[in-house]
Amino acid sequence: MEYDNIRNFCIIAHIDHGKSTLADRILEKTGAISQRELKNQMLDSMDIERERGITIKLNAVQLSYMYCGREYYLHLIDTPGHVDFSYEVSRSLAACEGALLVVDAAQGVEAQTLANLYLAIDNNLTVIPVINKIDLPNANVDKVISELENIGFSRDEIVLTSAKTGVGIDELLGAIIKKIPAPSTNCNLPLKALIFDSLFDAYRGVIISIRVMEGEVKVGDVIRMMETGAIYDVVGLSVNTPKEKQIKCLKAGEVGYLYASIKSISDVLVGDTITLDSNPASVPLPGYKAMKPMVYCGLYPIESSKFEDLRESLEKLKLNDASLSFEPETSKALGFGFRCGFLGLLHMEIIEERIEREFGIDLIATSPSVIYEVLLTDGTKIMVDSPTKMPKREVISKTLEPYVKTSIFTPSEYIGPIMELCQDKRGTFINMEYLDQSRVTIHYEIPLSEIVYDFFDKLKSYTKGYASFDYELIGYKESNLVKMDILLNGEIVDALSVIVHKDFAYSRGKIVVEKLKEIIPRQMFEVPIQAAIGTHVIARTDIKAMRKNVLAKCYGGDVTRKKKLLEKQKEGKKRMKRIGSVEVPQEAFLSILSTSEK
Amino acid sequence: MVSNCYIHIPFCKNICSYCDFCKLFYNTGYVSCYLDSLEEEINTYYRGEKLDTIYIGGGSPSCLSLEEMERLFSILSVLKKTADCEVTIEVNFDSITEEKINLFKKYGVNRISFGLETTHSWILEKMNRTLDIEYVKYIISYCKKIGITNINVDLMYAFLGETLNEVEEDIDFILSLDVTHISTYSLILEEHTKLYLEQEKAISDDFDAKMYEVICSRLSSYTHYEISNFSKESYYSKHNLCYWKNNEYYGFGLGASGYLDDIRYKNTRSITHYLQKKYRYEEEDISYYDKIEYEVMLNLRTKWGISKTKFVSNYGKKFSDVYNYSKLVLDGFLIETQEFLFIPEKYWYLSNEIIVRLLEECSYE
Repeated sequence: MEYDNIRNFCIIAHIDHGKSTLADRILEKTGAISQRELKNQMLDSMDIERERGITIKLNAVQLSYMYCGREYYLHLIDTPGHVDFSYEVSRSLAACEGALLVVDAAQGVEAQTLANLYLAIDNNLTVIPVINKIDLPNANVDKVISELENIGFSRDEIVLTSAKTGVGIDELLGAIIKKIPAPSTNCNLPLKALIFDSLFDAYRGVIISIRVMEGEVKVGDVIRMMETGAIYDVVGLSVNTPKEKQIKCLKAGEVGYLYASIKSISDVLVGDTITLDSNPASVPLPGYKAMKPMVYCGLYPIESSKFEDLRESLEKLKLNDASLSFEPETSKALGFGFRCGFLGLLHMEIIEERIEREFGIDLIATSPSVIYEVLLTDGTKIMVDSPTKMPKREVISKTLEPYVKTSIFTPSEYIGPIMELCQDKRGTFINMEYLDQSRVTIHYEIPLSEIVYDFFDKLKSYTKGYASFDYELIGYKESNLVKMDILLNGEIVDALSVIVHKDFAYSRGKIVVEKLKEIIPRQMFEVPIQAAIGTHVIARTDIKAMRKNVLAKCYGGDVTRKKKLLEKQKEGKKRMKRIGSVEVPQEAFLSILSTSEK
Repeated sequence: MVSNCYIHIPFCKNICSYCDFCKLFYNTGYVSCYLDSLEEEINTYYRGEKLDTIYIGGGSPSCLSLEEMERLFSILSVLKKTADCEVTIEVNFDSITEEKINLFKKYGVNRISFGLETTHSWILEKMNRTLDIEYVKYIISYCKKIGITNINVDLMYAFLGETLNEVEEDIDFILSLDVTHISTYSLILEEHTKLYLEQEKAISDDFDAKMYEVICSRLSSYTHYEISNFSKESYYSKHNLCYWKNNEYYGFGLGASGYLDDIRYKNTRSITHYLQKKYRYEEEDISYYDKIEYEVMLNLRTKWGISKTKFVSNYGKKFSDVYNYSKLVLDGFLIETQEFLFIPEKYWYLSNEIIVRLLEECSYE
């Protein structure tokens, strides 16, 4: 293979702007797959990805395309489109020379459009702006062109496409070849290959997606991971076309897969550099960061006998997802479960859903928590990822919580409500940038815990869905935090405890007890619900005793109907967790996230 | 051995807004075809057992004309009766006459169940019913006069807007009729009824329970022997007791349910199918454990509850080997005596909850 006919590129976009459909169309145009094979969104291989329309795990494909009489090899690297996975995005960008920045012709530029653009610029990529979905009846191409001009593109750079109808795809492929530079190649230097993704295969172990930056790697080579120090023999190399094709060697500039009978995914870190054990590079590629979970929650099986099944399912998911962490935890209320760490809320939801759907385990998820930093009076510092681990108030000298910098991109008429929301969320205003007269990016520093709580939902409702947002972690700041407990029938339900800012504890406590009252069905006796800080009760309400649960009449001997009703009630009970003598439905454990103020 | 039989007469002069039963507007042409089909059904399925109870329900059986009733009773004459067979017919005041009562008497009806439901005109209007209080008094005294003394009156309560006082007035009126049996039903808003479609709202569970309390205490001179049923001395509804004892019964007629040879069946609710003699609509095989569950949920509706010795003789196992009910006894939701296990009256209105808890505590699942 020659090297000036290779193009490595990725597609970046705000969620739902048509990234995966565009990728499919490119695959089809380059003959990689036929129309018949084309399941919608070929690159998204997990069901859940296809359903939610988001790409969770990365994929890279090699495509060949004839252009001006010459054959080109295009490596398309698909990236996830959500803020939770922004580090993964940045690593796959680092594997490319160019990026297609896809903007929906009806939606225009959004928060993640900008965030991704900046990421691409940081990685020195050549960016080709693409306006997609121009076939939509509400497409406003001129408006989107001017938005793109406002963020620094010239009109003639912009490619107009409809991934749905296929319009503009040939022009786009031409632009990729003309504008995106071929990789610079030096095969004589020691091997440096960037790991930008991995997945677990039951037969071959961990399969690593790599971009060779310098040198070359061959089947049989002994490789070393520079960060983890793990050493393996390369068993195989391949590229996806998108069918897998075995190859002998991957050279500088190329993208492909490597497998080496690796059993443990913890040896393979996204962002790490692979080199040769016999002739190692002196320094690794820049940009490696350990991925740290930002959000924690407890996951418990509703049926306690499913604990081992849950462990197994988490282990299996972890094989494909190094960023998922978990350790066993016990709750007085919920029994045995796991404390799990996630990159963000979406990541958490996806994992929960996969456990319920793919492994058939009904779960109770406790309210998500960020990691707090607690300085004790004796000078030691501890990290607290669960309210139950919060030390007693007497021994705490200082509490700190993680803050993020948010970029909220919005039509300017919503500036007022957004600022109000951010103030409510303990935010500190930084600045505001106008994209044009009608669009603005607002930056605030806000505690991550507020984002985890209900920021996103509120933002959507305050702006009728027009605002989009993105955030990055900026570090820890001191905060007056307290642990708020919830008591049912006088007993603390540890799984419902939450860490809150002291000034917000009263209103939060009130909302939570009211919400629990709504969710928990009446019991055979009256049940008080209290919110308390230490021994101090800050909110209380009562669930009244059940008064009626009877079927008065058995219709003309039709008793099967009554039995069915009882069976339904029995099924309903199975979805409840018994805490003390109170039956609590699954949803109650997320009520702590509830925001409905009355 | 089957010794009970239910006969359904689906016709009505007018349709009550809450009614979820299988019913049709009265129409002479239909009635005669219907009776033909009913006759064939009975002749096909009845195996000649001596019956202890026959219950003619509806609909409104009383809306049949005298000739149609004659025909009905001649069809029913094939059913063999024990000496003290209880024969009940449901009657609506808007379609009953002395002649019809005389006819009942002639054909051996010894129990009449009257649908009264309410005495308040605004509720009657909501129910799409009519009632002449004086006629009620007259008809009931007439029944007694000619010797049909075993009389039930149905009461319905828990309409939105109904007051406790109105419920008490209804009860007092029924008490003044001095009948042997009273059934009281809390309104259920069933799908596909006029009330439901008009988006009638239910009253709160608390107020409903309060009404029930008032009814129970006002009827203290009667024996409260089942959740919704009260009787003088031992004038229990023998027919309904067969349901609650989990005994088998024939069900004949449109939409009727029956229980025979470990099968619970439902007849079609489609009159065209019924007239084409396609009677059975669905059948459910009742397994050994289903039967136990039915036993529990039905027995526990009554003041006697579950008989432990009867249970052993029917199922070959001790009740306590099937269900672990000690916690429920400890909490007072069940009372256990040497022979019986029952729900105390004060928890009857929560019986579903208690039954479900008991069923959950079974050792065979």
